[in-house]
Amino acid sequence: MERGFGSDVLISISRVLGAFAMACAVAVPLGVMMGAFPSVEAIFAPFVSAWRYLPAPSFIPILLMWFGTGEAPKLALLFIGVIFFLITLIMDHTKNVRQELVETALTLGASRATVVMKVVFPAVLPDIVVAMRQMLAMAWTYLVIAEIVASTTGIGAMMMRARRFLKTDEILSGIIVIGVLGLLFDLLFAMLHRWAFPYLRKN
Amino acid sequence: MSEQSALQIRNVSKVFELGGGKSVQAVQDISFEVEQNSICVLLGPSGCGKSTVLRMMAGLETPSDGDIVIGGRTVDGPGQDRGMVFQAYTSFDWMSVRKNVEFGMKINGVPAAARAERAERFINLVGLGKFADVYPSQLSGGMRQRVAIARTLANDPEVLLMDEPFGALDAETRWLMQELMVNVAEQTNTTMVIVTHDLEEAIFLADKIVFLSSHPGRLKEEIKPAFKKGERIADKEKVVKLDGYGDLEAHLMRLMREEGRGTS
Repeated sequence: MERGFGSDVLISISRVLGAFAMACAVAVPLGVMMGAFPSVEAIFAPFVSAWRYLPAPSFIPILLMWFGTGEAPKLALLFIGVIFFLITLIMDHTKNVRQELVETALTLGASRATVVMKVVFPAVLPDIVVAMRQMLAMAWTYLVIAEIVASTTGIGAMMMRARRFLKTDEILSGIIVIGVLGLLFDLLFAMLHRWAFPYLRKN
Repeated sequence: MSEQSALQIRNVSKVFELGGGKSVQAVQDISFEVEQNSICVLLGPSGCGKSTVLRMMAGLETPSDGDIVIGGRTVDGPGQDRGMVFQAYTSFDWMSVRKNVEFGMKINGVPAAARAERAERFINLVGLGKFADVYPSQLSGGMRQRVAIARTLANDPEVLLMDEPFGALDAETRWLMQELMVNVAEQTNTTMVIVTHDLEEAIFLADKIVFLSSHPGRLKEEIKPAFKKGERIADKEKVVKLDGYGDLEAHLMRLMREEGRGTS
């Protein structure tokens, strides 16, 4: 094999992070807006809820048709695999921000926009980070599916190559690497949470 | 009338629609005035709509009928002129005490230097000088309410509205806070409207007690605690010992009992 295991791992990591970042860039503002404004929820909720029940892998054939065999279909699968759950989680957390905090800000003279930006968003941010941590695990699942079905690079593809040569050890090491990477990212998220929200620390 | 009124409640009613064609009348045709720089206490049994009246003053609820006037303007939604302190803790946990107290001024465009100075003043006024740079989660319940009070006062409202502000506190913290409020009223000349169901709290704090009856909330009696002779005394022991304290408490108890009859 000309390509090393290391480059497969790096490709997989960049796919997960790239697609996940895009999903967050859409889901965070949309989820917060849906949680804060019932009118925004009314527009998007039916669409988002319906998509959540569609298994993302069922879109693989059409994604391959539309986006060809490059990076796009893999990123798209990860994107649609996590974004609708992410939106729903963030929306629900946003709705749980205590009404008294909102009303306090209003009686201090804040506009609706200020309330959302300066009170609702910072109040829900720790929960958003937790939701991201949970959904990142799901992103790894979709990554491996995408790489097994429709890729020649990445950890999943490497495992499929190994299968052809009956190299059980390589397949198992692929699984272990995915597990270790998952654990590592989980730890990074936990550290981010601790660092970003010092006020939540119990003494 | 010699004293100018800061707030007028004119024939205010509130009906809540419950859906399915049902509705409940929470407040019925209430009128009273809150004098400038006075402490007005809304007292009554639970279910008398006193919190609803306060929320309408804050602009968080809209009267079904009648209107509320502050400084000549009819209340239409919440605003900086009417600050509110809630029973539940409302500190913004992600900000230090200082940032919490500066929050209102910041969103209202007060320059940083003036903001810092005012915040300092009100943090000291409520006795949190040593805790200015601490997060609210590290404070006790009573101290968190002090943050809320300082934050609201620093925003320079015309009226301070408080909805059972000490309801969640233990007994001794409660009366320390009551004494603090009398001192704050004296030092800042703020008009206050305080909702409570606690008779002692009402008598101690009030320049005027507005007693509401329940189901629906109606104005039953307006009482000025004459035994205080127009003085504010920030010492609970002294107030309790004054002649006439017991009579007023007995009178309020009788009113409460009349309201309680048949409902519990």
